Amino acid sequence: MIATLARAPMARLLRDPRARLAMVGWSAVAVAFAIASRWRGSSHAADHALLDAYGPLVLPLLAYAIAGGVVGARSLSRSGAPLVAFGASPTRAAAVAVLVAVVACTVGGACLAAAVDILAHGSADPPLGRDAMASAYAGGLGGAAYGAWFMLGASFGKQGGGRLALLVADWMLGAGDGAAALLTPRGHLRNLFGGPPPVDLPERASAAALVAFAIACALLAARRAR
Amino acid sequence: MIALDGVAARRAPLALASVSLTWGPGIHALLGGPSDGGSLILALVAGAARPRSGRVRVLDGEPTDLDVRGRVALVPLQPALPEAMTVTEVLALAAAIRGEPQKDAAERLGTLGVEALARRAVGTLSPGEGRAVAIAEAVTSSRVRVLLIEEPLVALDPRAVTRLPEVLRARSQEGWAVAIATASVRDAGEIADDHVLLKAGAIVGRATSLDALAGFAPQGAFLRILVSDPGALAAALAREPGVEAVARRATAVVTRGRDAVELARAAGRAILATGVNVTELRLQSPSLEEARAAAAGVAAATYETALERTRASVRSDRDASEEPQL
Repeated sequence: MIATLARAPMARLLRDPRARLAMVGWSAVAVAFAIASRWRGSSHAADHALLDAYGPLVLPLLAYAIAGGVVGARSLSRSGAPLVAFGASPTRAAAVAVLVAVVACTVGGACLAAAVDILAHGSADPPLGRDAMASAYAGGLGGAAYGAWFMLGASFGKQGGGRLALLVADWMLGAGDGAAALLTPRGHLRNLFGGPPPVDLPERASAAALVAFAIACALLAARRAR
Repeated sequence: MIALDGVAARRAPLALASVSLTWGPGIHALLGGPSDGGSLILALVAGAARPRSGRVRVLDGEPTDLDVRGRVALVPLQPALPEAMTVTEVLALAAAIRGEPQKDAAERLGTLGVEALARRAVGTLSPGEGRAVAIAEAVTSSRVRVLLIEEPLVALDPRAVTRLPEVLRARSQEGWAVAIATASVRDAGEIADDHVLLKAGAIVGRATSLDALAGFAPQGAFLRILVSDPGALAAALAREPGVEAVARRATAVVTRGRDAVELARAAGRAILATGVNVTELRLQSPSLEEARAAAAGVAAATYETALERTRASVRSDRDASEEPQL
């Protein structure tokens, strides 16, 4: 049933030209930042690319575009209406849409983070293979958290306008390293990419927080679609 | 199959107040304007809206039961279809969700004469074509037993309009419960077996036939006769008792009378007397307001009859008790 219910959100994500353009566009921006970082000749070019551009800018906007593609620029419950009309449970339809978004953001976030790391890899960065794996791990966790975060946002407002509100909240609250950053994926992702941790939280705790974010936001989003 | 018991519900700006209905197999019409609550009743039956009080039962279960959901199809005025898919993919998806065997998409769409849409992307369909696809999916499903359609003949692909009434009749004969919400008295009269008249969220009348209601309308019943010589027939009708007014049109005569049966008899006599050729003879459906007024008239007439019988019964009892005992 999951595969059946996933067909509609997958089709929206993969066939909608606007969603594809946004995903390709933000991926291109990430690659461009990585190449520019390497050209500048910094010995920690990968760290800079991930910390300065990929983490705070590209990954949130990529996840925002993926979530928008999955719901088709509507609210989460409205995007599931066609499936509900055929007899699907609204909660299941929403849960599967959230799952599609989270999986797409996880895979996209991990692959793109690894690509950025490889393209920007500097002389003083850790060994390439291990560093790329670590970047993929952090990018994947961040992608999952952002995917669920924005799908929760899409459950608010007729057009899913809550997505934009959560994007702004993430930027504003997650920018610093105070307690407010604990409430956003941005602060924890920055910690995993080697930036200043929110309230000196260890990396493992931030990783666990991102997983918790993904699960809690996904459950809440699906529940709101009842 | 469908039972609403004292259901109150609200979906701004609509509100329903204590609606009770029981529907079995057949075609049932909810007759009322957009703000009278017909679409809200359909949404309640489909589980798309929840009652504030009262109870809704569909196919011996709650509308929100998963098994019930798969056997109920709701087609609103603007049905939601997965827009990034082709029509064939949509029908396959619907069959998979409903848990029924896959059937050929063109064959399913052909039921309503819109098989040409099979390869189209949903995003390229006009609103009428989209509605035709949604209705075709529902009427060709092997699991659906309750079909709910908002304004069945409005904003629908013209190819489907001609076939839909016949298809709905066939489904109702197979044991489906088909409920339509419409503001068109003509559509309701053409499609449905019985009618519930709604006004501002309340049931104001019920009728098995809108034609029968026509006689109770404030202005009486109207008969429209398409005829070869309207002038001759109009003159003959004007002499008939029971005919209150006659209007002559280019190819037709419209006549009005208090009693629909008496009016039809008068028309029959006038047609025989003049020897004109009749193409069509049709009792005109009352307007929505006339139908509501007529339903109220029927209720009042029923009340008056009951009151008169009760009075007669009381009188007869009194007379019996006043008779001297021998």
